[in-house]
Amino acid sequence: MAESRDDFIIAIRSAFLKKSTKQKFSLLTLALISILIISFSSLDFKIIRYLKIGINEFVYRSSFIVSIPENFAKNSFLEIKSYTSFFDDYKKKKMELVELKSNFISNEIIQFENKELKELINDYVSSSDKILAKIIVDHESPYLKSIIINKGSKDNIRIGTPIYDQSYLVGRVIEVNYRTSRVLLLSDLNSNVPVTIAPQNIQAIVTGSGDYFGQIKYIKEKIDKEFGDKNIIYTSGTGAIFKSGVPIGKLRVKDDVFNTYYVEFFSDFSQLKYVFAEIETRSPIKKTEEDSDKIIDQNTNLTMETKLKILEDEIKIFEESNTKFKNENEKLKNEINDLNSNISNMKSEIFFQKKKIDEFDIDKDEIIFLKLNLVHGHKCRKGFLNNKGFEINTPEYRSCVLSKEINNE
Amino acid sequence: MSELKSKSFLFKFYGWMPIILLFISVLNEFDLNYLNLKYFSFNFPFILIFFFTLKDFKHFDYLLVFIAGLINDTVVGLPLGISSLSYTLICIATSYIRNITIRPNPIKDWFYFLFIICLINSINYSILSLFFSYNLILMNFVVNIFFTFILYVVFVSIFKYYIKSLND
Repeated sequence: MAESRDDFIIAIRSAFLKKSTKQKFSLLTLALISILIISFSSLDFKIIRYLKIGINEFVYRSSFIVSIPENFAKNSFLEIKSYTSFFDDYKKKKMELVELKSNFISNEIIQFENKELKELINDYVSSSDKILAKIIVDHESPYLKSIIINKGSKDNIRIGTPIYDQSYLVGRVIEVNYRTSRVLLLSDLNSNVPVTIAPQNIQAIVTGSGDYFGQIKYIKEKIDKEFGDKNIIYTSGTGAIFKSGVPIGKLRVKDDVFNTYYVEFFSDFSQLKYVFAEIETRSPIKKTEEDSDKIIDQNTNLTMETKLKILEDEIKIFEESNTKFKNENEKLKNEINDLNSNISNMKSEIFFQKKKIDEFDIDKDEIIFLKLNLVHGHKCRKGFLNNKGFEINTPEYRSCVLSKEINNE
Repeated sequence: MSELKSKSFLFKFYGWMPIILLFISVLNEFDLNYLNLKYFSFNFPFILIFFFTLKDFKHFDYLLVFIAGLINDTVVGLPLGISSLSYTLICIATSYIRNITIRPNPIKDWFYFLFIICLINSINYSILSLFFSYNLILMNFVVNIFFTFILYVVFVSIFKYYIKSLND
């Protein structure tokens, strides 16, 4: 028993302390150094921070170079795959473009109104620039979802800088080096974003799931019954980490029984090549009245100018539509005139025809009278034997002839 | 003469292959994740380090393994030193096995490897969640351990072929 314990101790000691022929350090030393590095990296010392930045810069660049063959193979495979769905994509994009164009003008007006309102609320004017950044490392770890971009503190990137794919939010910067930064994706478990669920305007938090979708958390009970697949999720701006109104994804129902929902992100994080980093510069409004008046004037002038531009565009569109309507009116007027002349012609024709009909009716009465005159004429005519008769061609004579026929009937 | 020089250079390069492969794998995160297989992941450096330190391969310097760990932490975004500690612990474990084993058995090594990666991943999980407050999915660790354990056999057969060719 004692012998086996001795063997175990000897083996352990040998494993920890014995250096092999070409080893420079014993494993115990290396293990202790590792533990020291772990404990130091959790503390925020200036020297360690700079050392870390240096290592990061070197390793990220090296990783980018080493990944070139694998990325080339991966990209060529994806390109071949995208060619197969090229035409369908084109059709979809065309439809989307038409819709976007129609929404563009109203969006611009809303943007400027929004800006004005924000300026009224805050005591600073925020202007943001989006800079294009290339993704140099996007190795997916099973534990962490993050990417490395080729922009760092040199390009005014700070911790918390929001990162976009087109206009969709993809994550925020969590580590800044001199020329590189690490971006935590929205799909990471450690990512939490305050959001608004439209159109109900319900506040919630989207957390990453460690997969390609997000989860809705911290939502009031019973509210979720109103949700459907048409709900859109965008940032609420709560906590001032992200700007408000940045689209994130669509709501999808995961489980009807337990009412669990997940977020299908607009952006495909596995296909990211370039992203936009939004650098925000906040210029406080100076407290001297003249300066503040000037800045306000400048801002109002700018917004007014852009508003005027938009209004001018709108007027142009109205004018164009007016001229179209005028032309159409003239055409219609001409048509009405033609129709009126046709009506008058028709009326005159009808009048003549009526006249003819009346004449025909008169002739018909005359024929009937003449026929009856032949039969009853001698009874009504004044003569030697008939003193009660009437003179021919008098109305009395005529009525007498006609009355005789009626009496016979 | 120059032919001999170039031959010796190639031989040297061939001898340093495992350590070069280790650095490439930590810089490139070679784990076939782009196949988009859900949960699929494995830890190639674990297999590589375990095998070559167990064989006491002459060019497999512990210091270089330690540096590879630091690089891995930087690339993956883990706190600096976690992977170095993991790799060093593998080296300690293999050194211990070497000392206590008289007749090596591949099956025993394989299951010993499983025990070691379970232990190391548990340590990693504990450090990350307790000291650094990382939110982690335990399932990912389990799947990673499973595939690393399964693929160990495949890679070991390739490494054995490499060592054989080097000795010849």
